[in-house]
Amino acid sequence: MKLAATVQKKRSRRSLSKTDRFTLATFVGIPTLLQIILLWVPAVVTIILSFTYWNGIRLKDIQWAGIQNYKNIFVNNPLFYQALKNNAIWLAFFVVIATPLGILLAYQIDRGIKGHAFFESIYYLPVVLSLAVIGIIWNFMLQPGGFVQGLMGRDIGNAISIWGNPKINTWVILGIASWRHIGYIMLLYLSGLKSVDPALKEAAAIDGATDWEIFRKIILPTMQPVNIIIVVITLIESLRAFDLVYIIYGSPTIFPLLNLLVFQNFAGQGISMKGAAYAVILLLLCIVPIITYLRISFQEDIK
Amino acid sequence: MSEEKNIVSRRSVLKGAAVGGAALAAGSTLSAGTADAATRLKGSTVKWTTRGGGATGDAIAKAVNDAFTKKTGAKVVAQQVNSDDFQNNFAQIMQGSPDDAFGWMAGYRSNHFGEMGLLADLTREIGHLKANLPTAAIKGSTSPVSKKPYILPTTYYPWGLHYRKSMVKDIGMNPEKINNWDDFVKLMTLTQKKGLVGYSLGAKGGWEAMGTFDILNARINGYKYHIDLLNGRAKWTDARTKETFKYFAQLIPFMNDNVMDISWDGMRDLLLQKKTGAMMMGSWFANDFKAKSQADYDDLWVVPFPEINPKFGVDTIDAPLDGISVAANGKNVSGGKALAEFWASPEGIAQAVKAGDTNIYVSKSFDTSSYDAFNKQKLAVLAAAKNIMFFLDRDARGDFAGPIVGPAIQNFIKKPADINKILENMQAQWDALPKN
Repeated sequence: MKLAATVQKKRSRRSLSKTDRFTLATFVGIPTLLQIILLWVPAVVTIILSFTYWNGIRLKDIQWAGIQNYKNIFVNNPLFYQALKNNAIWLAFFVVIATPLGILLAYQIDRGIKGHAFFESIYYLPVVLSLAVIGIIWNFMLQPGGFVQGLMGRDIGNAISIWGNPKINTWVILGIASWRHIGYIMLLYLSGLKSVDPALKEAAAIDGATDWEIFRKIILPTMQPVNIIIVVITLIESLRAFDLVYIIYGSPTIFPLLNLLVFQNFAGQGISMKGAAYAVILLLLCIVPIITYLRISFQEDIK
Repeated sequence: MSEEKNIVSRRSVLKGAAVGGAALAAGSTLSAGTADAATRLKGSTVKWTTRGGGATGDAIAKAVNDAFTKKTGAKVVAQQVNSDDFQNNFAQIMQGSPDDAFGWMAGYRSNHFGEMGLLADLTREIGHLKANLPTAAIKGSTSPVSKKPYILPTTYYPWGLHYRKSMVKDIGMNPEKINNWDDFVKLMTLTQKKGLVGYSLGAKGGWEAMGTFDILNARINGYKYHIDLLNGRAKWTDARTKETFKYFAQLIPFMNDNVMDISWDGMRDLLLQKKTGAMMMGSWFANDFKAKSQADYDDLWVVPFPEINPKFGVDTIDAPLDGISVAANGKNVSGGKALAEFWASPEGIAQAVKAGDTNIYVSKSFDTSSYDAFNKQKLAVLAAAKNIMFFLDRDARGDFAGPIVGPAIQNFIKKPADINKILENMQAQWDALPKN
């Protein structure tokens, strides 16, 4: 073992060969370049544009606006606060209900509960469909004159108001979004669970640990990298929720979300750089918690 | 803003073309200028987009495009797109790889994008068609800023109060005599008593409710006040605007429960399925009634929205002007222009009508003598009005109408008690818009 270690050390001190350098340049360089061009440049441009007035067509029409767009959003737009509320509810629902359910399912399936193949398929099915398609399906079924309304014997005149009823629509939308999110989380966690050494679990079981203790003290810590991904995904999916609600409503008035406000102010005939301002706000809301969380996690790692 | 000159000039001469009703020299062909264009066009491909319309829309497009191909030898590749999607993504589509020619809307939508260089200048084509177009239609298609037309006017339609004659007879009223506000309220009340919807509205799309707002404001405060309001010369917080919303609030108890769940096609379905007394809508959907059955179509009727303020009577109407535009970034701009001119010419119009188009054309060559009862009534509704508006989202700037007015009206319908807060907010958002 000592010999291997010394050989290892020697190998790392040797400088990179020409082929190595070329490989590095290509496989790291090209994706990085693409990232910069397709991700970073548009992001920076959006941030800059959020401080201007522009209708998006001719460059010469760009006018400096300072913080006016932001002021307009914070002071004049009640939809903004409703959107923040809805995104917060979305996040809370995912954090407290959807993601834990996904993790629980993954854990039980991994342990091989009866009928696990069945559970795997029905929960994974919605993940395969895009949210837009799911939105179309459910919109069609629940709208007045739709399939589910018809089953209840209600036609377009006296249909139950689902999409338009603020008391019901939040939970229906979150239910549909969770339907997909649970399967997504389940899959991610399952793949991570497969890599946990079964010997660890057996040893703990022999020592008399309960199921919950095994999960908390052995599985969770071992799954740290996957945990990070799950947290980040849950946060991002709730803050950037869009497809489902857009397909159903088209406009942000009835169920506002931050991303819908971005779209409304960026697309079609209502183009203004308020859309860019909304996008920057969304970016900050996502990035600040994620960076904080990652720093904490990696600090622990280092410890 | 610059919109006003355009709007004030769109006066009754626009309706004069249709009301005149006499068939003028039919069979006039495209002018000589296109003869050379015809030789250039032969063998080229022109791309056409039909904006909504379902099977009838496709049939009409096929008829006109085939006639164009026969005449010029150019191939036409046509597609139909969802109307709302096309509208909402218009700026992106025009800056990408758009089809060459398509049906579009006059007013802010063609002027703004034309001034930005996304729509082709159609001065020459309008010149060819001038003989057959009323001055007001040409004026309505021309941008007041650049003085160039970016759309060739073809059709327009009234926004009116639609109802079914059979249902009105059932509640004991005369379908020919729904003339004033009291008649209107009686119709809604009696219909509601029968367990149906009094006044149907579907506000999910964000724009449908503007039709009701437009006409109420025009009836109560007059055409000039309405246009002033949309262009910032009158205030949303003014007592007169609040009065309009007071009347709007009176309609809410008669509305269907699921206003926020359905869009305009839901409204149409409610009337088609005999579930509602009345609805305020543009008459474009009549084709759908005809497609269902001739009996349904014969049952459909439209009247001007009733008078509220005797000072204004029924002197104003929303009658949006539609036409054909050409994308400046299309692959075959000259082909697109030729196709657009054909669609707007008497020859193209004749083909469209033969294929089942029930719209009213502004062209003087348009023969209304063979009009059926419903279309004659549409003409009458148009004729009753002195002032013509194009609809809120065509008369007001795009970053105000869609993102601000639409949601505000939706919020008002959800919670009428909040109206003062909503109006203050609308005024603040108008004030915050960049004005140049």
